[in-house]
Amino acid sequence: MSIKTYAMAIRDVIAEEMRKDQTVFIMGEDIAKQGGIFGCTKGLLDEFGGERVRITPISEAGFVGAGIGAACAGMRPIVELMYMDFTYVAMDQLLNQAAKIRYMFGGKATIPMVVRGQQGVGRGNAGQHSQCVEQFFLHIPGMKVIMPSSPADAAGLLRTAIRDNNPVMFFEHKALYATKGEVSDDPEFAIPFGKANVLKEGKDVTIIGTHLYVGKAMNVAKTLAAEGIDVEVIDPRTLVPMDTETMLNSVKKTGRAVVVHEAHKIGGAGAEIASMLTEGAFKYLDAPVARLGAKQCTLPFNLGLENAVVPQEEDIIKAVKSVLYQSQN
Amino acid sequence: MLEKERMISIFKTMNNIRKFEEKAYQLFEQNKLRGSVHLCIGQEAIPATVCSLLRDEDYITSTHRGHGHCIAKGAELGKAMAELMGKATGYCKGRGGSMHIADLTKGNLGANAIVGGGLPIAVGGALAAKLKGTDQVAVSFFGEGASNEGTFHEAINLASVWKLPVIFICENNLYGISCHASESTSVVDIGTSRASGYNIPGYSADGNDVLTINDLVEKAIARAKAGEGPTLIELKTYRWLGHWTGDPQVYRSKEEVEEWKQKCPIKRFKEYLINNQVLTSAECDEIETDALNQVEAATKFALESPEPDPATVMEDVFCEN
Amino acid sequence: MATRVIMPKQGLQMTEGTITKWLIAEGEKVELEQPLFEMETDKLNIEIVSSASGTLLKIIRGVGETVPITEIIAVIGEPGEELAEFISQEGPADSPKVSEAVERETDTKPAETEAPKAQRNEGERVFITPRAKTLAEDKVLNYHNLEGTGPEGLILERDVLGYVEQVSALPKASPLAAKVARQNEVELSEVSGSGARGKIMKADVEAAVEARKSKAAAGSRSGKVIPFAGMRQVISDRMMQSLHGMAQANHRMKVDMSEVIRFREKLKSSSIKVSFTDILVKVVSKALLDFPIVNSSLTEQGILLKDYVNMGLAVAVNNGLIVPVIKDADLMSLEEISAVAAELIDKAKKGGLKPDDYSGGTFTITNLGMFEIDEFTAIINPPESAILAVGKIDRIPVVEGENIVIRPVMMLSLTYDHRVIDGAPAAQFLQRVKQIMLNPYLLI
Repeated sequence: MSIKTYAMAIRDVIAEEMRKDQTVFIMGEDIAKQGGIFGCTKGLLDEFGGERVRITPISEAGFVGAGIGAACAGMRPIVELMYMDFTYVAMDQLLNQAAKIRYMFGGKATIPMVVRGQQGVGRGNAGQHSQCVEQFFLHIPGMKVIMPSSPADAAGLLRTAIRDNNPVMFFEHKALYATKGEVSDDPEFAIPFGKANVLKEGKDVTIIGTHLYVGKAMNVAKTLAAEGIDVEVIDPRTLVPMDTETMLNSVKKTGRAVVVHEAHKIGGAGAEIASMLTEGAFKYLDAPVARLGAKQCTLPFNLGLENAVVPQEEDIIKAVKSVLYQSQN
Repeated sequence: MLEKERMISIFKTMNNIRKFEEKAYQLFEQNKLRGSVHLCIGQEAIPATVCSLLRDEDYITSTHRGHGHCIAKGAELGKAMAELMGKATGYCKGRGGSMHIADLTKGNLGANAIVGGGLPIAVGGALAAKLKGTDQVAVSFFGEGASNEGTFHEAINLASVWKLPVIFICENNLYGISCHASESTSVVDIGTSRASGYNIPGYSADGNDVLTINDLVEKAIARAKAGEGPTLIELKTYRWLGHWTGDPQVYRSKEEVEEWKQKCPIKRFKEYLINNQVLTSAECDEIETDALNQVEAATKFALESPEPDPATVMEDVFCEN
Repeated sequence: MATRVIMPKQGLQMTEGTITKWLIAEGEKVELEQPLFEMETDKLNIEIVSSASGTLLKIIRGVGETVPITEIIAVIGEPGEELAEFISQEGPADSPKVSEAVERETDTKPAETEAPKAQRNEGERVFITPRAKTLAEDKVLNYHNLEGTGPEGLILERDVLGYVEQVSALPKASPLAAKVARQNEVELSEVSGSGARGKIMKADVEAAVEARKSKAAAGSRSGKVIPFAGMRQVISDRMMQSLHGMAQANHRMKVDMSEVIRFREKLKSSSIKVSFTDILVKVVSKALLDFPIVNSSLTEQGILLKDYVNMGLAVAVNNGLIVPVIKDADLMSLEEISAVAAELIDKAKKGGLKPDDYSGGTFTITNLGMFEIDEFTAIINPPESAILAVGKIDRIPVVEGENIVIRPVMMLSLTYDHRVIDGAPAAQFLQRVKQIMLNPYLLI
């Protein structure tokens, strides 16, 4: 075990996999000398050289597409997008090409490509650089959607992603890069996709959260324990494939669920999770599944405004109390 | 030679930009700005000169490094600084920040944080002008990095086919964050090499020289107004600071930076003005001091401005009437 | 066509029963004679089987509810059948002119629940969360009168849990026991129950009251008053109604049982074991066919003469009495009667009779011989018109010719409804019975 930051955990797995497998290479903007603007590729240029640690022009559609082609041709590219907001610039390559090629070719093509990058608020980057976009890739079939919330999860899930023979959208979060945690030193340490993490067991209500909301849910659980409310916290970890069983079993037990994420509420991943829970656990529900997400407006630059848009811990607490039909004080 | 008033105006604008940017840097160091800012210190000649040839009704689109363009296009320093601080009095009521300053009353269709995001939008402005039958023109500012985005290809091709009054200004400051142009761009001279691909005139020139810039842009504006279509002008320049405030600049040497500082556009133009008896040295200093004072006043205004009310956060998502 | 499931009368004096458990869930399929629910009266704890096959479409009365006999408690049918007519009917089933009109106790609430009762109008929609509903169904609780603490009266899981807790926390007591306890200010938690599963019966409460009184009133000789309420009252009223409703008269006749005894012995030696009661059933069934007026019922339309004999046999069970019916006894052989009677009696003693087993009787035989009773007057079991009470077979001196001999003699006591049957036909009937008993070969 070592204590690592989320960014270093990612960097180390990339390095380990590149050492093991010569077909693994990484490309993206500023990943070479700069080591990536968040440090996720620090030192890799020195170890692996400019062929396998490849700086690209600002041409997202271009180099994502190149990744697809390289993957079809036997390589295992890791494509770094500096901000996941830039998936929009490469959307045709991602959703019309990467997601669909294998299927449309009758299973003949394999695209073992990882598209990784960060998203979310936390650095005052304003509307076009602060979005959460995982729900688009949940919706269109063909790509796996991964959302690690801790250094250990980032490491374990990234290894699985690199070794997966499918296109994987690997969503990191800008505010998580500096967080520290224990990470296994085992070079084979991997977390399988489709396995949610129950961070805390409880019997009164289930909170399901992603990225920053895993930590916030744990904080809320601690706060509410003092009020005698026993919260169960679940991190789905992967949206595609989604571990519906763990979430359903939890809600069947507790009878109440609060689903929270940073992406906008309407049409966010929470909408899918909430529907799934209602369909699968209807007669076990004591209250409708509560959903929390960013308000339906562009993320504002000003911090106070931004905080008014994305869900806060108080919002989670309110939601928990409402599904418990308790008064809000 | 340019008209005297215009030259003085350009010089003032360059100084305003310089002082504004320096102030922004200070404020960043004092932790008074949220996020980061992308400063154009060293590149002032381009926005000041180009925009001096434009009227309020002409359009521009700008980039993440857009303070210069916005100020040159008539932005009030106070409102601009307030927007950097996310205040309610900023151009975008604190919602856009540094990278999204816009003022449609002055033809500023907005700074754009997406590389290459502004080119098609400028083309749109020009299209409107054509459809309305006006003699408005549109200028798209972008960097050499954007010349490798798909939108560069699509926007220029479109403007060319439709013969739209657009002037594409590529500010080649040699670096896309850490990536040197030689690593990212297939040609050295984007202006002269890539324009022919779209059947339009293209130029590559010194972006730190007011006169050179003026010359090329005047021509381009005339061509545009004559209905002959777009022009691609690449202007070579250099940013003195990192990509964004806080960039450790591991990708280039201090010597290179120093070298370019010697080619400071303001210094060059000041010399020109003095040598050509347009302004005296004292007048130049006065302009500089005046710029400083204006920026101070703007900063004070911004610091004293209120934060936006969170209760308003859902306003302006849609137009309600 | 949907079938009503009613609270069945289980004993001569039963007026109401308390549902203790539904064995089939709403919506589940049920087969004919499959155990459907469990119920208790003050005296009996019985498993009732279904009298129809189909789907249990609706449970109308739930666990803990006390229901007057013949009232509808559920509906069995095919999914999709219209239920409205069943649910709206609160009255008794179309079986008759139960002239021993059912006395309704004022206290018809389920045993001892203090659960909040929601003020709901007839047919008002009840809102309950899925989880709470699942829980209620699991515990087979009727939540329709439960008060909900959620928004706009929504019934929540914790409302159901609270109710369940309350109900289970309290010691189980029969409704009568509860009432007696209340009247005497006895704490149920301090009474130990002697009924099924420790259930507190009325007698237990009375004993507790006694114990308390004897502790308190040391040495006083003022006698004691025990409550005249509940079942006692019901029995009293019904007996009076039976007697007031009919003009009951009684005939006595001694019968020499020698031939019957011999007959029975002969059968035994051929390995056919029958009881005296079995023989009595056979004999009386035959006699009734000759005197249908004794096998009748008085209805609004007139005297209904039945051409079949469903023979009721009064059977003493734990703290009570039940009358299983041997259907078509007149068509059965003695062996068949014996087998059926044995089965019914066994079932009765185990509390396993189905409604069918104790309904539809046309005549009743009651035997207190095992208690050394020589003779007694029974009270008719409406809607029947007569009842035969027999006592023990006693060896007594009788006159034969000029001699006094010892003979085994049994007394027949026929109580009959004089509105329908006159003394002469009643006497003739008894004569016929005696005639056959003196000569069992007449059974052929």
